[in-house]
Amino acid sequence: MTRRLLPALLGVAVLVAIPLSIRNSFFLHVCILILMWTVLGAAWNVLGGFAGQVSFGHAALFAVGAYTTIILYLKGGLAPWWGIPLGGLAAALVSVPIGLLCFRLRGPYFALATLAVAEIVKLVALNWESVTAGSVGYLITTLPPVRLFGLEVNWEGKPPFFAAAAVLAVVALLTTGWLRNSRLGAYLVAIRENEDAAEAVGIDTVRAKVVTLALSAFLAGMGGGFYAFYFRYVDPDAVAGIGLSMEMVFIAVVGGLGTVGGPLIGAVFLTAVAELVRDRFQMGHLIFYGLFMMLVIRFMPEGIWGRVRRLTPGARTGG
Amino acid sequence: METFAQSLVSGVLTGALYAMIGIGLTVVFGVMRIINLAHGEMVMLGMFGAFWSQKLWKLDPFVSILVWAPLMFVAGMLLYRLLLRKIIPGGELNTLLYTAGLSLLIANLALFAWTGDYRTISLSYGITPFRPLGIAIAVPLAVAFVLAILITVTLWLFLSRTDLGRAIRATSQNPEASVLMGIDVERVAMVTFGLGTALAGAAGVLLAPSLYLYPTVGELLIVKCFVIVVLGGLGSVPGAIAGGILLGVVESLGAVYVSGTYKDGIGFVLFLAVLLYRPSGLFGAGR
Repeated sequence: MTRRLLPALLGVAVLVAIPLSIRNSFFLHVCILILMWTVLGAAWNVLGGFAGQVSFGHAALFAVGAYTTIILYLKGGLAPWWGIPLGGLAAALVSVPIGLLCFRLRGPYFALATLAVAEIVKLVALNWESVTAGSVGYLITTLPPVRLFGLEVNWEGKPPFFAAAAVLAVVALLTTGWLRNSRLGAYLVAIRENEDAAEAVGIDTVRAKVVTLALSAFLAGMGGGFYAFYFRYVDPDAVAGIGLSMEMVFIAVVGGLGTVGGPLIGAVFLTAVAELVRDRFQMGHLIFYGLFMMLVIRFMPEGIWGRVRRLTPGARTGG
Repeated sequence: METFAQSLVSGVLTGALYAMIGIGLTVVFGVMRIINLAHGEMVMLGMFGAFWSQKLWKLDPFVSILVWAPLMFVAGMLLYRLLLRKIIPGGELNTLLYTAGLSLLIANLALFAWTGDYRTISLSYGITPFRPLGIAIAVPLAVAFVLAILITVTLWLFLSRTDLGRAIRATSQNPEASVLMGIDVERVAMVTFGLGTALAGAAGVLLAPSLYLYPTVGELLIVKCFVIVVLGGLGSVPGAIAGGILLGVVESLGAVYVSGTYKDGIGFVLFLAVLLYRPSGLFGAGR
């Protein structure tokens, strides 16, 4: 127990220490991005890593979360801390019919179907102008005044967003950790390894997969909601593009499929590559994403975290 | 009525080119059980090949196919030999993710090298369409259509008449039995991948005068390509031809009679419906 508690406490301590000790807003921005990507990578990993269901359409769920949150705020005045979980909930609701349809397909066919679903969602976001404002998108100009512990929250600064992202990342990692040790997690691994055998021993595979997709969608949707508030701008290209889906895949694959800590490592890696390259040329980071994804699959399909765990003896249960 | 005939004709013409892209993907899938997500980027490379050979060497895009198709064939074989061969034993999903990475890599290298500008190829004979029976047909599209049919027929003859073609079809039907019959499956796989890449590249060359060129066009094409091969049944060449023409016609009619904005959506809905209710394709030919 202490073995698991120690890294968790250490992680929380680091998360608390960062905004208190660091005033450099660019560094905080990078940390916020890392935490946001961790949430998204973990969301994809729940489905792709544990259940082995590769989705190329997770941007659709992210988009549902982002739109729900921003529309509730702009039209209903709902504060972020309600809007973000509701965005997650909306994504989870949308994911259920998607899952019921697409999980009738297996392996690569499922992946292709998710790609089509994501394209349909993007088209809807582009053309359903009365709700989504079409290609113009939504812009948040001001955030609500809030007092916390007697202090005015400064929305122009980074610390409040850091706190929100940290909470989401902790929720995502705890969910993954819980899933790994749960009965559902065991079902998923069985499905990943051999779906027919899983069915033969009595697992309701469709139900297990649909529940997992909903869970994954909830996390992805909350990530989308957070994105909407942090970047204050939502349009179909930004939140529903195939590039975003690929970034989620990248984080989970590079970090380590089916591991708890993998998405965090993947997110650090992804953000580092993006920020290092962005100075030199725009969009150049995608070249490296592609390259690293190929290298990882070729030389360490278990991902960075998976490899580290394998190299440290006795650490297999450490997560 | 005239609008109907017009959009039907242009749908069939575009559809034949779609079909060619689809055949490349479906042949590779048949033999290797790989869904090559980088297939759209191969088409994009063909398109840019045509563009640059006109720009730099003043070569007619349709003539440049003689350069690019063989080049893409060799590139495809090397790609298989040097990169993909090691990945395939890792399973379908690994290959899928690997080719996804490859697609990102190629598209963004192209974006880096050529920027995201939209380009067009202008041809001296592309300005005035010719009008048989009052239907306007763009000359470049008609030329591309004829060449696409020529290439497809040649491919069909190759697959059905030559030893290597028979070996490819045999491997696609039953890899284990093919090995037992003394077919070098490795070599067949390599040639097939080269063939698929060459078809994609050639289709790109043919499409280039009729479409906008930009480095991420592959994204759009690969999705269309999936629609086509799933409509026709993965692994089936006649299915891909039918699927391609069907998609071309549906898109073209949809743009006129349903709505321009949701035109692409029709294809996807059709795709999902077929995937769900007829996963072996409309004609039951695929696996």
